[in-house]
Amino acid sequence: MQLVRRGQAAAFEVIYERHSQAAFSLAYRMAGSRGVAEDVVQEAFLNIWRSGARYERSRGSVRTWLLGIVHHRAIDALRRSFVHEKRRASDEGLEETLETGERTDVEAARHEEAATVRAALEHLPSEQSQVIELAYFGGFTHTEISDMLETPIGTIKGRMRLGLEKMRHALGSGQVSLG
Amino acid sequence: MSTPGPDHQSWSDAVGAYLLGALPPEERAGFESHLAGCPVCRSDVGDLQVAADALLVSVPLITPPAALKDRIMTVVRSDAELLAAAGERADRPAPAARVPGRPRRSFAAWFLRPGLALASVLVLVAGAGLAVVLSGGEDTRTVIASTQAPAAEVRLEIRDDHSTLVARNMPAPPSGRIYQVWLKRPDRAPAPTSVLWSTREDGSAEVAVPGSLEGVEAVLVTDEPEGGSQQPTKPPVITAPVV
Repeated sequence: MQLVRRGQAAAFEVIYERHSQAAFSLAYRMAGSRGVAEDVVQEAFLNIWRSGARYERSRGSVRTWLLGIVHHRAIDALRRSFVHEKRRASDEGLEETLETGERTDVEAARHEEAATVRAALEHLPSEQSQVIELAYFGGFTHTEISDMLETPIGTIKGRMRLGLEKMRHALGSGQVSLG
Repeated sequence: MSTPGPDHQSWSDAVGAYLLGALPPEERAGFESHLAGCPVCRSDVGDLQVAADALLVSVPLITPPAALKDRIMTVVRSDAELLAAAGERADRPAPAARVPGRPRRSFAAWFLRPGLALASVLVLVAGAGLAVVLSGGEDTRTVIASTQAPAAEVRLEIRDDHSTLVARNMPAPPSGRIYQVWLKRPDRAPAPTSVLWSTREDGSAEVAVPGSLEGVEAVLVTDEPEGGSQQPTKPPVITAPVV
């Protein structure tokens, strides 16, 4: 990141190569549309290019920091009017068509890591995994989820917290490395 | 044991929603304000952050299209070359006309200045949809340009023999300066053009860029001293990748 901070395009390209797949995957998972996912990733990476000085090691790995930016950008995109209606309506099955054919060791480790976290999520009581999915990947606020599920906001908040606590317990320290 | 901050009772159930990004903006701001003064909630957030971060990498992996990288790297290389070009000039003594003792702020210094870097980020966010091809008529292609002016909308209409920058809500250049158009070709410093312009009172402008853009990867605009420059002295206020 030091090189990126000094404005070196080649260093930035390495960062892109290393993290673009995870970034695009997250954006696509949230937006449900290839076009919106591309816009989100483009905005996030150019944001990072022009603000490299904002990364601090104390805030976690570059990947976590970068994916956090993608997540925020995707939520913004989802909350911009029309996307909520349009997403999930198209591009179904893109996972299969874009899935990487030959996996490197790093990619294989990341597939395994993703599967581990998904398993932890799927093992939650359904009412907890549901609110986590709707909030984190759907970009819905607690109020919207409360209306959607006809459940009090306090209950929704409680399920979110309980779900995260159980996930943390299931994953344990060190089982999932976000390096 | 830490003492809860004021209003802890009313905020303590918001930790999960906060980490999942589920608080509406105003409530999020309120919680962050509470967080600053509540060690108990800070500790809760720290404990559960690992679970929220894990969600970031839980999605099935899919490969982004190569064209996405091309678009991003076109902008990045343009910025980097502008930075390099301005960086060389930044080492020269400040011109005599400038206020003594006040260092000339180079593009490099601007670029690395945290506050302004943040501003450029916010502006970039406002310029969403960068380089999206809007239409593809028989002889005209239109792309949306990124701009540093938050409310501005700028597009580049590309034709075979000439192109036009069309701006709306674009602020006028600073006093004593004028907008200049540059053509960026791969692996070369931005080439100056004689196209110097300003905006109308309502912030609109239609700027003719003569000639073909074949071989050009981006059309850039900087604000320069009146009469223009041979090398850019500022970062671009408009970047229109010719994709």
